[in-house]
Amino acid sequence: MSAATAPVDLRGERWRLRVRNARDFGRRYARRTDGVVGLAILLVFVVLAALPNVFVGALETATTASGTALEPPSLTHLLGTDGLGRDMLNQTVHGARISLTIGLLATLITILLGAVIGIVSGFRGGRIDNVLMRLTDFFLILPTFVLAVLLAPIILDIVGDDAEIAGIKAKLIVIVVVIGLTSWASTARIIRAQTLSVKERMFVDRARVIGSGPGHIMRRHILPNVTNLIVANTVLTFAAAIFTETTLAFIGLGDPFAPSWGQLLNAAQAIGAPSLGAWWYIVPPATCVVLVILAFTLVGNALDDIMNPKTAGRR
Amino acid sequence: MSPSYLGRKVLQAIATLVFVVILNFMLFRLMPGSPERILLRNPHLDAQSIAAARARFGLDKPLLPLEISVDPPSLKVNPDSQFLAYLQTTASGDLGLSFEFRGESVTEVIGVRFWPTIILIGLAELIAIVVGLTLGSAAGWKRGGTLDRVGNGISLILYSMPYFVIGMPLIIIFAAGLGWFPTSGMLSPGAQYQSPIDQLLDFARHLVLPLATVSLGLIGGYSILMRSSIIETRGEDYVTTARAKGLKDRSILRDHAFPNALLPTVTVIAINLGYVVAGAITAEIVFNWPGLGTLTVDALAARDYPVLQGIFLLISVAVILANLGADLIYGRLDPRVRA
Repeated sequence: MSAATAPVDLRGERWRLRVRNARDFGRRYARRTDGVVGLAILLVFVVLAALPNVFVGALETATTASGTALEPPSLTHLLGTDGLGRDMLNQTVHGARISLTIGLLATLITILLGAVIGIVSGFRGGRIDNVLMRLTDFFLILPTFVLAVLLAPIILDIVGDDAEIAGIKAKLIVIVVVIGLTSWASTARIIRAQTLSVKERMFVDRARVIGSGPGHIMRRHILPNVTNLIVANTVLTFAAAIFTETTLAFIGLGDPFAPSWGQLLNAAQAIGAPSLGAWWYIVPPATCVVLVILAFTLVGNALDDIMNPKTAGRR
Repeated sequence: MSPSYLGRKVLQAIATLVFVVILNFMLFRLMPGSPERILLRNPHLDAQSIAAARARFGLDKPLLPLEISVDPPSLKVNPDSQFLAYLQTTASGDLGLSFEFRGESVTEVIGVRFWPTIILIGLAELIAIVVGLTLGSAAGWKRGGTLDRVGNGISLILYSMPYFVIGMPLIIIFAAGLGWFPTSGMLSPGAQYQSPIDQLLDFARHLVLPLATVSLGLIGGYSILMRSSIIETRGEDYVTTARAKGLKDRSILRDHAFPNALLPTVTVIAINLGYVVAGAITAEIVFNWPGLGTLTVDALAARDYPVLQGIFLLISVAVILANLGADLIYGRLDPRVRA
């Protein structure tokens, strides 16, 4: 035993390792043009969603509308006005906040459910795994969008259309919960597969030998090793959540007082804007929907390629 | 295909179907207010007529076929229950009565809307499969080339577009603007046709824009899938062998890479065919196409739960069968999963 070895600075070493990993990741991500473009688009929308009042003032309502109905674009109304005379630029920018918030909350529920079910199922194995995976199969096969359309009005009828939960409109919460409940299954599958391989590694045995309980192992050893997958999956789930929210709002399950982009398009369809040729009522929210979903898909694909152990290194 | 693989898949499909039926039964009982109040929206009903209605709809029977009592502890099977009655009628194709379309059965209401959806989505799937697979394989084969960049870019954009985001601009340009096609419906209202051919032409004119919308919406997904599948096969040994034999590039793609790359795509196509019934709800809304999609939204607005549940059941059956089909096709095509 050599007494000369200096005490290893574990904390500092770990820190240095993290910085190096982050820098390495940044370099690899920067090489992905599509990922960078997607990220840039998302940044613009996040800024708009964070500070809509700074850019376009408070959300215009039917009583505070600043124009007359269906004005084409002009210098006063750069994107024209909607059926009630509200400024379309105002509506679209505020729509970013609403669409992204609903998308974010729905994504959180989806990922939370998917990750917990995936990790528990993969780690515990046996009967628990069997039951959870049958449930997952069921949700994978089921036409979940139709189930969402069926569930949403039933839950709304139970809690009441105008009810508020903790100051938030029940309608918004129901949409968030319904999207979350119907879309966690594929995440659970992916996380479970990765958990199965992580739990065979040596450090899990080591943790078990020194007496760690299953809860501790799942939190401190399995979770950190599936985080990469969770992150990539979260971004792709976000794209799907926005897609679903827009569609649900378009078919009339949204809240007219919180106009997301889907809700704006629902209103446009309701007054027959397409056949009236009122393109300015449709193009702004439609473009935003496509840009945001596209951006999330690009970022998600780039992350997936870089972080997913299955696809990394293939290119 | 081993009988155990087949048996497992069939069993799984049946289990899923049972789940769906139970879910449907429970959802109906979750609804606020008692069913008879919703059925007979009349606050002035006397107790006698309510009892008569309850008996008529079988609501006076116990919910579940099991009677559990704690004191004395016993478990009794009661064959005369709402659940078994529900199973019986559902199995015989009776899905109950619609709330909104008074007096009509759910089966009738759905039946009328069935074919317009099948025609629209069926044709759109055909077009999307042909165009999507061609585009995807051509793009993936020359990965990084001009066709790949443009084709994959377009596919990604189309993949990000809900049907109504595609359909509304199409109406603005080709119906409201240029006036080439009608804006909505399946036939001109009140039209008198000289011959069946006239009627067919009118139908075709109404079909063009919705068909284009749904096809465009589907192409993106097929193309992206086919592209990555072709890229995967490109590095396989048999492709290298074909190259070494001096075969033409085109023939390697057509005879060696494409058929193998098709394998994962076939499964997705089979599963998607189940969704033909589900239709493209939002595309039907935009064009006011009288199919199951508009029916879904009408029933949603009127809170017509029996119709909504009927549609959910129908689509579930279609999707479950399609999944079973996909598993069986895959088992037949790929010898590795037969075990």
